[in-house]
Amino acid sequence: MGFEVVNSKVVRADVSPDRAVLARRGAMLGYSGDVVFRPVHGQGRGVGGAVGAALSRESVPMMATTGSGQVLYGFRGLHVTALDLDGRAPLFVEADRLLAHDADLQTSVQLIASGGVRGALRGAASGQGLFTTQVSGVGAVALLSHGGTFALEVGPGEVVGVDPQAYVGHVGALSVDLRARAGWRDAVGRGSGEAFQLHVTGSGTVYVQASEQKL
Amino acid sequence: MQTWTAASLPAADNVNPYAFCVDLQGEWFLRKGAMIAHYGSIRFEAVTTFTSARAWLAGRFSSPVYVQDWVVAEGAGKLLLADRGFDVNSYDLDEGNLTVRAHNLLGFAPTLELKQSIVPGFLTLLGTGTFLASSNGPVVFVEPPFRADPEALLGWADCPSPAVHHDHAWMAANMAGMLQGAMGRASGEERQYDFTGAGTVLLQSSEVVREDPALLQLVEQQTHGLTDAQAGQLGRRLVARAQQQ
Repeated sequence: MGFEVVNSKVVRADVSPDRAVLARRGAMLGYSGDVVFRPVHGQGRGVGGAVGAALSRESVPMMATTGSGQVLYGFRGLHVTALDLDGRAPLFVEADRLLAHDADLQTSVQLIASGGVRGALRGAASGQGLFTTQVSGVGAVALLSHGGTFALEVGPGEVVGVDPQAYVGHVGALSVDLRARAGWRDAVGRGSGEAFQLHVTGSGTVYVQASEQKL
Repeated sequence: MQTWTAASLPAADNVNPYAFCVDLQGEWFLRKGAMIAHYGSIRFEAVTTFTSARAWLAGRFSSPVYVQDWVVAEGAGKLLLADRGFDVNSYDLDEGNLTVRAHNLLGFAPTLELKQSIVPGFLTLLGTGTFLASSNGPVVFVEPPFRADPEALLGWADCPSPAVHHDHAWMAANMAGMLQGAMGRASGEERQYDFTGAGTVLLQSSEVVREDPALLQLVEQQTHGLTDAQAGQLGRRLVARAQQQ
């Protein structure tokens, strides 16, 4: 059961003894029922194992919501996108875009792209950070974005170019590469302003926000 | 793209989710900076200046702390109001009362009476009439019993003033976290406003709390109850805090 979309910026989660929710700290707007919040330090695996990932810079303070009741989540007026993961493919997303997710989902910090020097360069150039969070399992996820997200389907043989600032995350067997098209025009400040692009190939779905503003 | 004229602008309705048009015939109270455009002959004057001429209006605005931030619009025409690109909604009260965050109140008809809520930073409107309030995203209406994050609370209607609820489990867990050497930052989750009784609670997506010029005055008023020794202690703490920055 996913998150109920209340409006473009707020989701409602049903919390029960069978279903705990992990959410970003400070994202709870209000709740009814007998609900308990507990801070979780670092990106944990489930509620119990709070494995610190502070070194990776992909660590965002989270909290666990347990008990039984209904909780409203939202964060600083950012748009919220509710997704349901079917367990066939993980979701890759930056940790600071995770508003809330089912505690049963596994999260781990990954070096994005195929790693190595290229991955590091890519992260540095796009301001995406070198690490991204992988969310796997079956359950509901709520993502934050600026201006709302839309999903772009990528099929075999297709290439989708995405502005690094507008990239939110992706689901599926996709590879994401940074392409630099910086020429002499960019050096003298007459470039198109689109010198860096993420090229997404494979099969899956890319989530793109309708803004070039980072969170 | 539609081009509006004085005649085609809606009377007392939203132009888009972020701007509202008031059909002004007489007076309206407005927060400073809320007016973005207007048609017609409308004069804007500080509430203090205006109410010295019209004594009956003075009684409608009984909040000395916020009086500096407000103006009276007088005349006939169309007034367009907006706030930071937030969603703007109008609320009609019928012999009712509604308390709203002072920052989010944009304007109200003088048929309503404004008073300060006992919860700092909130204003209460009483009587019959229309008022405008902004929210960060659409407003979510919920019914008590409900606990709300103070930063997400927009207001409440027809129910008793909230009590402050401290989440013991959160504080205990945070304490344990700090002992383990992990960071234990206060995020506001340990403190909520607890609503009971019958009524409606209004929520928005949380917002970054802006500097409230009235807060200093409100706090200062409360220090009158302190003894000299307590006041000295408070003063030393504030000095220490200022020096840390």
